[in-house]
Amino acid sequence: MARYIVRRVLWGVALLVIVTAVVFILFYVLPTADPAKLRAGRTANPQLVQQIREQLHLDDPIYVQFWNYLKGVFFHFDFGESYLSQAPVKDIIFHRLPATALLVVGAVILWLAIAIPVGIISAVRRRSLMDRTTMVTSLAFISAPVFWLGLVALYLFASDVGVIPIFPGQGSYTTADSFLAKCGSMLLPWMVLAAATAAIYARYLRSSMIDTLAEDYIRTARAKGLPERQVIMKHAVRAAITPIVTLLGLDIGLLLAGNAILTESVFVIPGVGQEIVLSIRRSDLPMIQGIVLFGAFFIVIFNLIVDILYAFLDPRVRYQ
Amino acid sequence: MRLRWLRLLAPLAAVLAFAFVLTSCGDSSDDESGGTGATGSTGIPEEFQAPTAAPDDAKSGGDLVVLNEGDIDYMDPGAAYYQVTYMLDFAVFRSLVSWAPDADTDPTPDLATGEPELSDDGKTITYTIRDDVKYAPPLQDRTVTTADIKYAIERSLLPGVANGYTSTYLSGVTGMDEAIKAAEKNTTEAPDISGIETPDDTTIVFNLDDTSAAGVMGALSLPVSAPVPEDYAKKYDAEEPSSYGEYAVFTGPYMVQNDCVDESGKVTDENCSGKITGYQPGEEIKLVRNPSWDADTDFRPAYVDTITFQEGFADPTSASKKILDGSSQVTGDFPPSPTVVKEVASGGKYDPSQMVVTPSGGERYISLNTQEPPFDDINVRKAVIANSDRVALRNTRGGELFGPVMNHVIPPLIAGFEEAGGLNPPEGLDFLASDTGDPDLAAEYMKKAGFKSGKCEGSECNITMVGDDAPPGRDTATVFQDQLEQLGFKVQFQPVEHSLMYTKFCSIPSQEPDVCPNVGWIKDFNDPQAFFDIPFYGPAINPSNNSNWPQLDDPKLNKAIEQAKLVTDPNERAQTYAELDKQTMELAPVVPWVWDNDILVRSDDVAQVTNLFNGLTDLSFTSIK
Repeated sequence: MARYIVRRVLWGVALLVIVTAVVFILFYVLPTADPAKLRAGRTANPQLVQQIREQLHLDDPIYVQFWNYLKGVFFHFDFGESYLSQAPVKDIIFHRLPATALLVVGAVILWLAIAIPVGIISAVRRRSLMDRTTMVTSLAFISAPVFWLGLVALYLFASDVGVIPIFPGQGSYTTADSFLAKCGSMLLPWMVLAAATAAIYARYLRSSMIDTLAEDYIRTARAKGLPERQVIMKHAVRAAITPIVTLLGLDIGLLLAGNAILTESVFVIPGVGQEIVLSIRRSDLPMIQGIVLFGAFFIVIFNLIVDILYAFLDPRVRYQ
Repeated sequence: MRLRWLRLLAPLAAVLAFAFVLTSCGDSSDDESGGTGATGSTGIPEEFQAPTAAPDDAKSGGDLVVLNEGDIDYMDPGAAYYQVTYMLDFAVFRSLVSWAPDADTDPTPDLATGEPELSDDGKTITYTIRDDVKYAPPLQDRTVTTADIKYAIERSLLPGVANGYTSTYLSGVTGMDEAIKAAEKNTTEAPDISGIETPDDTTIVFNLDDTSAAGVMGALSLPVSAPVPEDYAKKYDAEEPSSYGEYAVFTGPYMVQNDCVDESGKVTDENCSGKITGYQPGEEIKLVRNPSWDADTDFRPAYVDTITFQEGFADPTSASKKILDGSSQVTGDFPPSPTVVKEVASGGKYDPSQMVVTPSGGERYISLNTQEPPFDDINVRKAVIANSDRVALRNTRGGELFGPVMNHVIPPLIAGFEEAGGLNPPEGLDFLASDTGDPDLAAEYMKKAGFKSGKCEGSECNITMVGDDAPPGRDTATVFQDQLEQLGFKVQFQPVEHSLMYTKFCSIPSQEPDVCPNVGWIKDFNDPQAFFDIPFYGPAINPSNNSNWPQLDDPKLNKAIEQAKLVTDPNERAQTYAELDKQTMELAPVVPWVWDNDILVRSDDVAQVTNLFNGLTDLSFTSIK
């Protein structure tokens, strides 16, 4: 197991270097706005634009910029400075990460709390009214775009613009001055982010449970006279949940990487997703690079955690 | 059997009902302005004209919240070059001269004790400043001097500060060229501009090589003249780029909270560094009262106790409703959506007075590349303008309240606007006579250009257009594309992200497409010079950062532009620029389509005051009821 983990970590580092290279190449190959001109302003003369370009090292060869960047990241944990605000990229990301983390953690707890019981019950009571209702509802939530769902939730339940004003509205995270208040401000965003994901997870789990319940060992367990509850919860769920664990690792990594952009934008949560939107608009390469790298890091780490969890969840999995 | 049919029909019925609901929601493509009543020379209905003075019973106290979609550009006053940043800067920085809310032609003395003295030959401008204005903590024991203003202007030439307008508008100041060259050589030390003299702590003299005093005085009304103490800022300016923005010192009634003061503006740490703590980029800016500010030295009343900019409101509809339904809030950098504008204008749930409309001092036009066929032919350009339904173009932004149709260069409230024709086109320019398009006249011009059928024919009619990829810019481009195709052009339209459109296509002459549909200009200060010096002046064509998008380079017009900026008498200046305006439009370089309005909404309990110069809320005059 230890060798497996070390191998995965080394592959993870290699992956981060490749991701960094890809972002660099994309930034230079695909058309992006010129950050030196954006900084210089609309009436700046070419000399000023060139001076800014030199200051930001934009006129260095790409491979020199890339090498300097890699050295900074891996040897000094320095992700450079934002072209626009000159603040260290690392500081900006760490400042925004708690908001995204709170959003993700809360949403994860909520969607698992919904998806797991719904998936299990739907599988166990296949084709019942409850099964059909939950599956149609889940289809509706999967189809609804997150931003639309978010706006509908705001207009229905937000305390500032809602018809039934019961939850804190847009921008309430920024004005919240305690952890509890911040959690309160996240109630609607949690529900919105959890809605579609819970629906997907419920369908996956239902499908996986149906396959597992048809397995021979489940029939054996029943034949041995084990209580149905034990058959389901101890034997079937444990095997059926592994695809969910895989999904969970990916989803958490992606959301921490900024995939909660739409939810953060609708509810004005100052998280990583919101920052990546701003950075792309301003062609702020160090910020884009830093956020992508952090995102890749989270995805690598959570995939590793998921793979290790497999060994505990499913005894059939052994790592050489 | 019946049940099975119902199972089929039920979802069909649901889809039809949904479609019905969707189609019964209105769109804003019709020209529905809302509002009746006299419009005056700005085209704005009276009921929406912005208050530019605080009410007599304005109350002190309270916390004002400004909702923004984006962020300011820079905290450093030397680098700031954005309308929304000025909204903040007018509250936290005092400049040599500034703009009271109702000042639409002449700036208001701020640090200056009064109007400047202009020498008889128009080449020397002398200001006297107050001797009793103190800086906010950490420099609370220090008084502003003219040396600080001189340094503020000089440091703006550093590439680490990257001011976008000093070298343009102050180009006539003696020694400016040498200073610019010195800044290129030594990028970490502000150069000396020999033409700016400070014989004593309260006198500052600008010596000019020409009579471009009007442009100089206009530029001094911008935050670049906010004082910066050299010994305090030098160490920050030595960095590349300058980090002074993180430690800026304030002189206005408010300050951005730093490590010296608490939320009430009380000094909490005598040994503080001045590091700004109240600014989280893209998130929030917190303004508190400046404990050093003396109301007796300032024209600003400063009613509210704190001002918070909350940023990141990406959806203008929900953000506008939050303001309208909420309390103590105003819009910052976004207009309300057309839906909200219609809802407020029609009365009902919201009081129409919760919305105000002000000319922004900006305009939008579609540039035609005058250096390349087919638009190098003036008759083709005139045909395109004549054919354009400019009302339809304007309506892509939401309708009449979003601005009157543009008919010439100088926008409303800028000197020369009325003389140039006001809301109407200049006399004698028949291709601008109709704002809904005149296809017959367009056909005549095409025939004059050699297209016998009255429509464009041949390979030169295959043209390229690069525009915004998001509404409303994309909508404008698409509507214009249709109009061009009606005239026989074959348009290849490439939508790209907005800043990419500017920095990689439309502002690089060698890359520029035939049409740039989403360009425009906004004033730098309340003088018509700003609308010609760069956007239509041939020598200003810049190979890598061009803003003369039509690439207009007419020798007669260039000479007229050079002469106009030397006129100093205000009345003569207005008339001169009005004539210049007509001369420019005669060349038909652009399709003018809207003079932008700024539309703001406020919460019911806010006595909002608009600053006419900026078109946005004047934070120092706004109060909570």
